[in-house]
Amino acid sequence: MMVSFFDQFASPSYLGIPNIAVAIALPWVLYPTPPARWINNRLITIQGWFINRFTNQLMLPLNVGGHKWALLLASLMIFLITINMLGLLPYTFTPTTQLSLNMGFAVPLWLATVIIGMRNQPTIALGHLLPEGTPIPLIPVLIIIETISLLIRPLALGVRLTANLTAGHLLIQLIATAVFVLLPMMPTVAILTAAVLFLLTLLEVAVAMIQAYVFVLLLSLYLQENV
Amino acid sequence: MLSRLVLVSGHTLKNSGSFGACLVQASRSFHQSSQSLAPVPPLPEKGGKVRHGIFPEELFTLLYPKTGVTGPYMLGTGLLLYMLSKEIYVINHETFAAASIGAVVIYGVKKFGPSVTGIVSADKFDVDKVAKAQEVKDQAMASLAQGIEDEKKEQWRVEGRHMLFDAKRNNVAMLLETNYRERLHMVTNEVKKRLDYQVELQNLHRRMEQEHMVNWVEQSVIKSITPQQEKESIAKCISDLKVLAKTTQARASV
Repeated sequence: MMVSFFDQFASPSYLGIPNIAVAIALPWVLYPTPPARWINNRLITIQGWFINRFTNQLMLPLNVGGHKWALLLASLMIFLITINMLGLLPYTFTPTTQLSLNMGFAVPLWLATVIIGMRNQPTIALGHLLPEGTPIPLIPVLIIIETISLLIRPLALGVRLTANLTAGHLLIQLIATAVFVLLPMMPTVAILTAAVLFLLTLLEVAVAMIQAYVFVLLLSLYLQENV
Repeated sequence: MLSRLVLVSGHTLKNSGSFGACLVQASRSFHQSSQSLAPVPPLPEKGGKVRHGIFPEELFTLLYPKTGVTGPYMLGTGLLLYMLSKEIYVINHETFAAASIGAVVIYGVKKFGPSVTGIVSADKFDVDKVAKAQEVKDQAMASLAQGIEDEKKEQWRVEGRHMLFDAKRNNVAMLLETNYRERLHMVTNEVKKRLDYQVELQNLHRRMEQEHMVNWVEQSVIKSITPQQEKESIAKCISDLKVLAKTTQARASV
């Protein structure tokens, strides 16, 4: 019995062992390593096809220097999407609802792109702070604004993912509770609410995939600016 | 932990397709088992059989001898009712969330399952790969067979080579012969010219001598004719002419 709905987001631990460790390790188990064969079974073929297609798509706008990040971004995407989708199952814990995890991904990766930009092409990287075609009186203001926008990026990345997933889970819990409570009293309303819950679940599935993709896409965009 | 995830995903990326089959060999050093190689037995195309999407068929075959066809279903129902009635599983809001996500999953699998399998099933994905490789193999074999044919033809040509050499030899001999005859002809002509010259020279000599002699004789004779002899010869000539005139006149009057 939960005291509040937010207890579901407390990082669980059992006998002193944090469950989040298991939850993070779980996606690794779900993707079998392809054997050293030329033609595999359907599962491995689909997996490989999807990963290839995704990485290809992601690396399209990047130049060759950015291709070094292919492994990192593709594995990050698979990880996030799996964790998000697994979190939709009942009685599971979604690690990406923890701000600590998301910031742990966002800040180092964003900082890496900034440092790469500053180190390799400092003029161009600083040049991004001033969009083209700004009227001259606005330049000082705009630079300040763009710097703030640059510094807020990791925060935005982390919080976006956290907030979306947390909000989604919370909504599911709330509406499911509503269905549960309404069922004995007003079954019709409960059924309507159940329909809402079904649609919400569909939305949450979409959101889970999209948020993971957006995270990785934004990182690739930051990389594209700087590499 | 995360680094292992990255490593394994990297391994997946490495092995699945475009990142290079050569990298697979690098990972072989980590496998300690004996490397038994081709021909590798093919993987089964479909996974294990399941009933209702999650329960493996082996469970049903396991229970069939003891409990018949309805055994596993009774087991499932019994378990579920036991857990519900004893409140081992408490129905709460998560149940409805579970029902909802279950409905979404079943809907998704039923709707998109066949099309996803269709992408990677044997008649599109792998068949292309296999067809391309087969084509490469067939082309290689065809070119090698063609190579064998060409080699055989070359060997046949070599057998006929001596005829070619004979013909060439004859040709050269004929050229030499022609050349030799021409030179011979030329030499003959030159020699003949020289000899003709000598002959002409001799003829000229003789002619000149003859003319000279004749002139000399004439001169001597003319010189030797005295005036006495000249008168006598003229008188003889006149008397001869008179006689001749008489005979002609006589013949004319007759």
